[in-house]
Amino acid sequence: MDKMTFRIKRFVPEISRKHFYATYEVPVKKGMTVLDGLIYIKEKLENTLSIRYSCRMAICGSCGMRVNGVEVLACHVQLAELRTTRITVEPMRNFPVVKDLVVDMDEMFHKLKYLRTWLIRRDVAEQDDPAGQYTQLDEELVRYLQFSYCIQCGLCYSACPVVSTYPRFLGPQPLMKAYRYTADSRDEGASERLKLVDSVEGVWRCHFAGSCSKVCPKGVDPALSIQLLRRKALTGVKGA
Amino acid sequence: MRERHLMLLHYATGLGILVFGAIHVWVVFFTYPLQDTIWETTLQFDNLPFAVLPVYRNTLLALSLFGLLVCTTVHAINGLRVIIIELFGPRGITTLLTKVLIGLGAFLVIYGTRTILIANMIT
Amino acid sequence: MMGNVFEPPGLSEFVHKRKDGSAVLSSLIVMLNPSKYGLERWSYVLQRISGVVVSFYFIAHVLETGNFFGGITVWGPISYETAKQSYEAVKAFLKDPLFDAGLAVIGLLVAFHSFNGIRLILAHFGLALKRPSRPEPPYWPSSFSNLQRALFWLSIGLAVFALVYTLDSLMGVFRS
Repeated sequence: MDKMTFRIKRFVPEISRKHFYATYEVPVKKGMTVLDGLIYIKEKLENTLSIRYSCRMAICGSCGMRVNGVEVLACHVQLAELRTTRITVEPMRNFPVVKDLVVDMDEMFHKLKYLRTWLIRRDVAEQDDPAGQYTQLDEELVRYLQFSYCIQCGLCYSACPVVSTYPRFLGPQPLMKAYRYTADSRDEGASERLKLVDSVEGVWRCHFAGSCSKVCPKGVDPALSIQLLRRKALTGVKGA
Repeated sequence: MRERHLMLLHYATGLGILVFGAIHVWVVFFTYPLQDTIWETTLQFDNLPFAVLPVYRNTLLALSLFGLLVCTTVHAINGLRVIIIELFGPRGITTLLTKVLIGLGAFLVIYGTRTILIANMIT
Repeated sequence: MMGNVFEPPGLSEFVHKRKDGSAVLSSLIVMLNPSKYGLERWSYVLQRISGVVVSFYFIAHVLETGNFFGGITVWGPISYETAKQSYEAVKAFLKDPLFDAGLAVIGLLVAFHSFNGIRLILAHFGLALKRPSRPEPPYWPSSFSNLQRALFWLSIGLAVFALVYTLDSLMGVFRS
């Protein structure tokens, strides 16, 4: 196919408070991604279209959006693999839209801060001025390594059905980060995080719908981390 | 910590329903000869070993029915409470609906216990 | 606090309100849309729907069995004859192919909800799940381990068996 129709959900607050759909025709070359198509539209057809992107190689996590209803990284999806000549591009769900395809991700990042997703040690003075490395065995590393591959793109947060109905729910990405630090053998803040996570808006609102893991571009599997966090909350803190 | 205890209760009552429910389903659906339907056998009023009245009059089976009633009520009411929280969030209507649900649960347990006791005491 | 100088924010200040008015309806539509997200999402939706429908059936069932023995107005002992009469009256009302089919559907939903619930209890205690490992490209995303997938299909299978068996015990449909 040599042409593809992009139907983009646009929102331009200076003009109107309502969103609208705009259609653009994009010539397709072999190997083009959705992001290439959007950049073509921005350069040649409609230069007021707002998109967020950076690395173009699925490592920065900036270009998250919904293509044909499913959350993807725009730079990661080739137009040829969509097997259609007409696609619908929409911004991610569960975040307020700033303009067109750009969303405000503050909510997710504030939940990360709320859950203390950093290494907590009792001896803060020693942590600031360490005498040596914190050593870790390979088995201890593998317990949380998968969850440290997160690029914070927000696709899982957008796909989660619970976040869309209950915005206070902490969400797959913050909960996964909380587990990543709780499972880290160097961390000593597990009881503090578990108190926050064992709440009405915490781990109990996850129902294992698995959509987060399905859309994750890095194979991080947040659903697995939340069930493991649940196990920790149910069976008590047994150390990291 | 209260949410964790409610969820543990949800799991425990779920397992309780599996046990008591299995007894109930076995009594109604698995104790009749294959050539009949349950309308002619376990749903008769009396005169058959697992008909309605003998089941209620048997102490152990009546207790298992009571266990099933309590477990199912707690499990269902808690499940509906979770759905209400997820749909309406932490607003005032959630607390009101939760109280309505607890009232409904109390009514179901009381009314169901009345049924079991009345049937158990028929001579 | 464990010595961190940065004071993390509370939760309420940063949760943005979803649009009001039709928020509940539109979020229900999102919540109940399992297409394009794979098997686990279907399991979530079916567990929810079966739970709600069976809850309503349960309420009706408690009221109906109450009617077997006199109804809401009776709160003291009753005689054998009165009980028999009120039971036969309710039985005549209930002995209807439509109600039989409905009960078979309820049997399907109860069986699915129970066996899927067992799978969920296992998952919530961290059992029968995949182990965390090093992600290798291509990243095949799925939170279902093989055992979880097998348990899910087992729930579907047992639910279908419950449907067939209930239809047979109520209406004898599968007899020669």
